[in-house]
Amino acid sequence: MYKWLLALRYLTGRRISYVAVMVIGLCVFVVFVVMTVMDGLVGQFKQRTHDFVGDCVVSTESMVGFPYYDRFVTILHSEPIVEAASAVINTYGLVALASRQDAVGLQIMGIEPTWHFKVTGLGKSLYLHPDDPNKAFLAQHDPNLPGCILGIDLVLNRDWSGSYDYRWLPVKAIYEISCFPLTAKGALARVGAGYVNAKRFAFADVSRTGLAREDGGCVYLPFGQLQVLSGMAGPPGRATAIHIRFRPNVDLMAGTAKVAELWDQFRKACQDLPQSQLLAGVKVKDWKTYRKATIAPMEKEQIAMVVMFVLLATTAIFIVFVVFYMIVANKARDIGILKAVGASFGGVMGLMVGFASLIGLLGASIGLLAGWAFLSRINQIEYLLFERFGFQLWDRTIFSIGQIPNQIHLDLAAAVALSAIIVCLTGCLPPAMKAARMQPSDTLRASPV
Amino acid sequence: MNRTDGPILVAEGIVKSYRLGTTTVKVLKGANLEVAEGEFLAILGASGSGKTTLLHILGGLDRPDKGRVLFRGSDIAGFRSRQLDHYRNRQVGFVFQFYHLLDELDVLENVYLPAMVGKGILGWLACKKAARQRALELIEQVGLGHRLHHKPWQLSGGERQRVAIARALMNRPTLLLADEPTGNLDWATGKGILALFGALHSSGQTIVMVTHDQRVASQATRTVVLADGLVQAGQTNTHWRQ
Repeated sequence: MYKWLLALRYLTGRRISYVAVMVIGLCVFVVFVVMTVMDGLVGQFKQRTHDFVGDCVVSTESMVGFPYYDRFVTILHSEPIVEAASAVINTYGLVALASRQDAVGLQIMGIEPTWHFKVTGLGKSLYLHPDDPNKAFLAQHDPNLPGCILGIDLVLNRDWSGSYDYRWLPVKAIYEISCFPLTAKGALARVGAGYVNAKRFAFADVSRTGLAREDGGCVYLPFGQLQVLSGMAGPPGRATAIHIRFRPNVDLMAGTAKVAELWDQFRKACQDLPQSQLLAGVKVKDWKTYRKATIAPMEKEQIAMVVMFVLLATTAIFIVFVVFYMIVANKARDIGILKAVGASFGGVMGLMVGFASLIGLLGASIGLLAGWAFLSRINQIEYLLFERFGFQLWDRTIFSIGQIPNQIHLDLAAAVALSAIIVCLTGCLPPAMKAARMQPSDTLRASPV
Repeated sequence: MNRTDGPILVAEGIVKSYRLGTTTVKVLKGANLEVAEGEFLAILGASGSGKTTLLHILGGLDRPDKGRVLFRGSDIAGFRSRQLDHYRNRQVGFVFQFYHLLDELDVLENVYLPAMVGKGILGWLACKKAARQRALELIEQVGLGHRLHHKPWQLSGGERQRVAIARALMNRPTLLLADEPTGNLDWATGKGILALFGALHSSGQTIVMVTHDQRVASQATRTVVLADGLVQAGQTNTHWRQ
């Protein structure tokens, strides 16, 4: 009992204890805030990617695509684990305003809105007719032309707050889109005007997925239109991917494995059909693997950050060690007194460990409270900084970030607090051992003799 | 009074050296001492003669290089760490020249500290009321009932020493070991402390006190002199015979 009483008194009665508490509090604050924001950003990015892709993708990296996709989609729709499946064409093309000569190379994606909006969150990302597959490609100005959806950053500029001024939507714009049609053998097909197929599309809508690459470099066309433009109309018709959404409660890995099994069976069943060699390059991947190239760098940054925080924790351990060393040196006489009245090795260790736990607990509480207060106002603080000094954590005109993510996760808070206590205990152990091993007579006598 | 004739504490051939830089100082060179139960013994010696060292060895705060200390026939040098902690907690009460009170605790807490140290949380909760009552009685006995919640630094030297005496008596120790208990006090205050020791001795408390002051030593029932690392022949003080 005396251990806790004295630990509490040491904590409240000594300035150096406050220093230790502040160091731990500051470390906890920094780790908690940065981890929350970084976790939020990574989580947000993953969620947007998941929304854009669906749960599972059957795809080929070849721009030639693969045939009989429609038969496999029918098979998938008969599977109880599949909510919906949608065939997609991913290709590249040149996009130019019809009134001008200059063209830019962009990713062109052909989708069938009725199914694709069930599989992905693309429908919700539209501005004029969100989640309405019938109006998704409705040309705003010229009903005689097929419509196209453009990534929002292609037509509007983000302002400082990350918002767009939709009054400037180019509703009357007509775009000429040219693709390079490929034969089933991968050669350029001489269709239409030489080596390219070109067609005019009227502006239908903009898509804001929150993914920089898609919003700044992707144009969506009706699946059938792009199939013709890219020379995939067949027969047999080709697609480059099938996006799949599983029913709720279907495990991602198990669902993907089932689709892979179905694909293997399907590929074998089709091996005698024309162009069946194109099925060999098709892979079945879950959404994380499919978008690994974009997710992995963010995850690596997260790991690098954790490593940095481990270094921070090491520094904190060293600070706690120094503080405790000073306390032990300062309190050698007290330890002698305690031993003189019968305190054991374990008792003195217990006192030091209890003291360290209190420092860790108090420091962690202060850090978490301060972190919570800061996070809950982080967007207002950033706004104030921008208003007064023009400073933004992330330039919204460049980064596709709206509000800074500040959702607090209790498991993260608990992990950070626990780490702080462990840091304190680790830092205090060597000085505590030294204190517990002290000979009382060495500390209580006025002179060595 | 509860006295027996046999010695309660026996020190035999105590040798103790200290290394001071490159030189070794032999402080005790085979000191022998016997303390009878209920006795008030003064060990008189000049500064640096090894009085404190001998007292610390008797109280289990230090270990001799050679020789043995028998407490009720058991050699405390052979005690395990836990037994030694128990010996210091239950059998011995220390009074130091510089009081050695814990600044973070008030008078009451300092006094009942030995009772807390000897118990775990549950044990302490079970006996807290009785311990507090005992501490209050002791504080009253040393005349500091009005200073219960003062911190040591708010007390005078004499008051601090009284608190230290009360703390030493908390667990009803068999032995009260006092290291120059008046060494840091003026004579008038010191006399008050010695009177307190006299009263404790009268109630049966065994006391071993070390001092360099002949006047202080004369307050004990018996005085021995520590010189050249050895305990010289003792003398019984006359005022106690009267």
